[in-house]
Amino acid sequence: MMEVFKAVTCPVCACLCDDLEVTVDKGKIVDVKNGCAFSKSKLLNYNGKQRVLKPLIRKGNDFAEVSYDEAVKQAAKLLTEANYPLFYGWSMTSCEAIRVGIELAEEIGGVIDTTSTICHGPSTLGIQDVGLVSSTLGQVRHRADLIIYWGSNPLIAHPRHMERYTVFSKGRFQEKRKLVVVDVRETETAKKADLFIRIEPNKDFEVLQALRVLIRDDELDVEKVAGIPVATLEKLAEMMVECKFGALFFGSGLTMTEGKNRNVDAAISLIRDLNRITKFIIMPMRGHFNVTGADMVFTWQTGFPYAVDFSMGYPRYNPGETSAIDILLRQESDAALVVASDPVATLPRKAAEHLVKNPLIVVDPHMSATAKLADIVLPSTFVGIEAKGTAYRMDNVPLPLKKIVEPPTGILSDEDILSKILFEVRRLKENAS
Amino acid sequence: MELIIRNGFVFDPLNKVEGEKMDVFVKDGKIVEKVDECKAKVIDASGMMVLPGGVDLHCHIAGSEVNAGRLLRPEDHFKNFERKTRVTRSGSGHSVPSTFTTGYRYARMGYTTIMNPAMPPLEAKHTHDELNDTPMVDKGSYTLLTDWWFILECLENGKIEECVRYAAWILKATKGYAIKIVNPGGIEAWGFGRNVQSLDDPVPYFNVTPREIIRALCKVNNWLGLPHTIHLHTNNLGKPGNYITTLETMKCVEDLALKDKPVIHITHCQFSSFKGSNWRNLRSGAEEIARYVNNHSHVTLDMGQVIFTNTTTMTADAPFQFTLHQLTGNKWMNHDVETETSSGIVPFRYKRKNFVHAMQWSIGLELALLVDNPWKIFLTTDHPNAGPFTAYPRIISWLVSRKARESTFKKISLKAQRKSLLPSITRELTLYEITIMTRSGQAKVLGLKNKGHLGVGADADVAIYNLNPEAIDPSKDYKEVRKAFRNAVYTIKNGEIVVKNGEITKHVNGATLWVNLQTSEQKLFNEKLKEKFRDYWTVEYENYAVEENRLKISNPINVEAKI
Amino acid sequence: MISLQLKNSLKFPVTAKCISPDALQDKSLEEIEKLKIWVGNKKKELRELFKIEIRGSEREVIHVYGDLTKVRGIGAEMTMGELTIHGNTGMHLGEEMKGGKIIVYGNTGDWTGSMMKNGTIEIYGNTGNYLGAPYRGLDKGMSGGKIIVHGNVKNEAGAYMQNGIIRVYGSAGQFAGLRMKDGTIYIQKKCGERVGANMRGGKIIVQGFLKSVLPTFTIEDLRDKVKIENEEIIKEPFYLFLGDLAEDGKGKLYISKKKNPHLNFYEKFLEGEKIE
Repeated sequence: MMEVFKAVTCPVCACLCDDLEVTVDKGKIVDVKNGCAFSKSKLLNYNGKQRVLKPLIRKGNDFAEVSYDEAVKQAAKLLTEANYPLFYGWSMTSCEAIRVGIELAEEIGGVIDTTSTICHGPSTLGIQDVGLVSSTLGQVRHRADLIIYWGSNPLIAHPRHMERYTVFSKGRFQEKRKLVVVDVRETETAKKADLFIRIEPNKDFEVLQALRVLIRDDELDVEKVAGIPVATLEKLAEMMVECKFGALFFGSGLTMTEGKNRNVDAAISLIRDLNRITKFIIMPMRGHFNVTGADMVFTWQTGFPYAVDFSMGYPRYNPGETSAIDILLRQESDAALVVASDPVATLPRKAAEHLVKNPLIVVDPHMSATAKLADIVLPSTFVGIEAKGTAYRMDNVPLPLKKIVEPPTGILSDEDILSKILFEVRRLKENAS
Repeated sequence: MELIIRNGFVFDPLNKVEGEKMDVFVKDGKIVEKVDECKAKVIDASGMMVLPGGVDLHCHIAGSEVNAGRLLRPEDHFKNFERKTRVTRSGSGHSVPSTFTTGYRYARMGYTTIMNPAMPPLEAKHTHDELNDTPMVDKGSYTLLTDWWFILECLENGKIEECVRYAAWILKATKGYAIKIVNPGGIEAWGFGRNVQSLDDPVPYFNVTPREIIRALCKVNNWLGLPHTIHLHTNNLGKPGNYITTLETMKCVEDLALKDKPVIHITHCQFSSFKGSNWRNLRSGAEEIARYVNNHSHVTLDMGQVIFTNTTTMTADAPFQFTLHQLTGNKWMNHDVETETSSGIVPFRYKRKNFVHAMQWSIGLELALLVDNPWKIFLTTDHPNAGPFTAYPRIISWLVSRKARESTFKKISLKAQRKSLLPSITRELTLYEITIMTRSGQAKVLGLKNKGHLGVGADADVAIYNLNPEAIDPSKDYKEVRKAFRNAVYTIKNGEIVVKNGEITKHVNGATLWVNLQTSEQKLFNEKLKEKFRDYWTVEYENYAVEENRLKISNPINVEAKI
Repeated sequence: MISLQLKNSLKFPVTAKCISPDALQDKSLEEIEKLKIWVGNKKKELRELFKIEIRGSEREVIHVYGDLTKVRGIGAEMTMGELTIHGNTGMHLGEEMKGGKIIVYGNTGDWTGSMMKNGTIEIYGNTGNYLGAPYRGLDKGMSGGKIIVHGNVKNEAGAYMQNGIIRVYGSAGQFAGLRMKDGTIYIQKKCGERVGANMRGGKIIVQGFLKSVLPTFTIEDLRDKVKIENEEIIKEPFYLFLGDLAEDGKGKLYISKKKNPHLNFYEKFLEGEKIE
């Protein structure tokens, strides 16, 4: 029997488009309307060969299939015994699962961190220094007459961002908008721009700071900044000052290049300064579909958005000290639970090496690169497809993730698996005391 | 579980009990006439005060704005933390504590019901998720209705009935408890970086004025028969001379009064009681405001009392927050919500020696002391705007004791000392009046029939403080009063002991209170709304509403709306 | 004198704010040995990690021996006395220090002297990022005292500095003196870019090579000498830049002319003005 699900939220990127129409036939997704290529690809092909269908425990070079109970028991034991365990991932699961994850990390006294640590963490640090002048995406759609993408290539990375929220969208007050792209190479998005400024790599900070001076009509001693004639930057400054409502979106081209959080700091400062003259907002182009939600839950439960260390019985936060990547590089952790992410594929090699050297538990629907090297693999459902939950869009708007199809028989959600581990950990601790 | 609270001095103003020595009986979460004395657990409250659990009708404790404040301020948290215990979760934060910590700190002070006053509809799920994680207390949230385009458009076209339907829909969709109005018109103007200056300043691009918005939403509130009044943050808040705007705001709904029932609540009134034309000649407008309130029955206030500390300001009044950023140079967050509202956050330190801050401190207390009737003004700090809620015991001590006020007064700015009205005020509130201002009056104006009193049938939310009203003189022993209110000897929530000697003994969740409006068939209306949906918002109609099952414990207040 | 000798090498982070003259001076050996200390998520006693001895009567003098790279917060908030570390130490050494002296014969970690108010820290090896800088979200860093680094420093040395002096005899990473308001930073060798970013006041002296000055600094003068502190003067020509204009700042950035001939194009702005 064919069934069409409307208003489905897409569990791919932080645009979290919630207008998907998904057709299910005999328990299988057969069609996806309104989605981008990533969305279609995930929803139609998620249930591939790499799917793990039984909990696994390492036996030498191989895995042995075990029951959830057995795998959970072993996982709880490894984590409880650890002196400085790491709970990493969280950007591709529901807020409901993240809540349990934090409780588990707190119960054990571990460090919990999200993929922000290697992505938009610097944005957060920038925000904590200077603030953030922002809005929801609809505000941009209704009001913006100037859109700037900086170190971000939405046509490729967030395919519907421009169509739904910016240049190609229609709003109450604005239909026509100017597009500016600042990047180190001519991206697909740059090709559509009214003004494209190609800057030298790793010079974003200088350009942003220069703009902060130019929007005040002050002059510089130099003729070029980051290889760009100051006259060109003056043109951009003028566009910024003269717009009615501007919006700057930045991506990892800004956050992960030289200067990192200071680049974000400069970008936010520029936008803040512009608000003395006109209306301007700024927003990070977050990547994974619920990395924003992870920030949210972490913050309301612990007071801090990521890199939270519970080892002393209360939340401590200091990226650089309590962030997963730095802990791994300093080789301090002695066990890890990885949920909804693939650090072996994304972390620097030395960090990944330390991660797999110690007891490693992976909760993932797939046999990811990390799962392949794990000691225990707990297979889970795909949230937003086989399990429901909540995710936050890049502009902090919460949206429901739906359950559209049944998971493979017996497969549990991240939330359920984590709850089982937490229960077992508490039992172990109770017995010990 | 059955409880007998034996021999305490009971303060229950709604039932006109003023410090009588009597027993209170609790069974199945309710106050009852009697219990089985053999089975019941007995709490010996002799020499102590027994009060209904505290009620706070205005504290920013949950949702996107509060969380943004937390995210912005690791420096507010890193030295102010709570360790995990056998029963409690850990947390952190001085002025913007994390959710668990918020619940525990309220419970320790004997508070059992708190209201989060600013919920952006589009982000209502976020607010409720945080409230779910705020333990120990019952809680609710006010839905921000300014400056929602649907309302502005209805008013442009004079369609008040349609306005009522929209309001009913959004209150239900967001599981809100009341209608919140913030700087009406100013928020829409902020969409393009502007503000409105007076009640009659037209809203850019909309043919309406703040006055029309306030009046219309007041009518809507009456029409729907909501338990609380409209809850209003005035225009021009935080600006010298704004007491005129506040007086006009109260006047503009005079004719909408329903007999003796209030129809408007002016919140954190301290911030809206400034006289003078600039910061240098700032004066108190408390006398004028209090005189008006003393002569009218359609309005209630809460203090928004300033505390000299480092705190975090956060309101939906984003243009005001921008001004505050410009004034202080402190870091600034702004978050506009499409079609609906906005918000801003700026860290702020109130300094004793700063003339303006000291005046603000004085104005808050003047208001509380000059308004004769404690049922008309309530104790708040607009947490965390004027200071964190953990300062309530300190405020109580200022209210009950001239000596306490003088002790702080002599440390504030000398210029403020010269201009303050405080030295001329001799009034010292009684503990009975404090009970009204911190629970009974608040419960009453919120329309919470089972809260704020200890009559039979009331929710068994009780606070017991180690304070013997026969043995102490609050005026002299204000430090004792402060100490007692800081840590309840017992806090009882829904008939269970959850705090003992200021320590959390049990983690309970508490319910989410919301108004479940029963309206006539809305089908046609819903279709119309649905059609407009994609034009106005960037989310789908189906994904907008907060489903009831999202609330960990749902406590709907059923209201028959006449529509 | 109190001496602490690390027994075994450490794998997990240890937070040891109790290793400071203030915390130890009034305690008996037994009390010191029983001080609680977190090793990872396990609570231990100080004696499990260190062999502790008390010699003589100078209780405010502490010597610590061993590789303390994992040990954080040594000497935090100390107000007096002398703490000598014979080996490397971890992060937050001397954080919020108010007085006394810390000497390190080895390297130190990030946030050394973070937010220090007074006293002296002298490091004979290298140090990490955020020397003297504040905790996340705070806008006031080091506000007094002196930090001397004989080796190199990494990024953001002296960030948000309010006062005091930092002397680096090696090289510095990027963003030295970020958002500083007052005080002095002296860097003898090579300095990373973005030096003085967003500074509003204070003085940074770079005697070594600097690839570029931020475009938001403006050349003010060419000086024939510059003063570091007291009567200590470097007699060679320095460019003086003012900035950071992005913050309307009035910070002074002195850059050696000798080591930076590629900056001589700035001199055209000085033509017709006084050049000494």
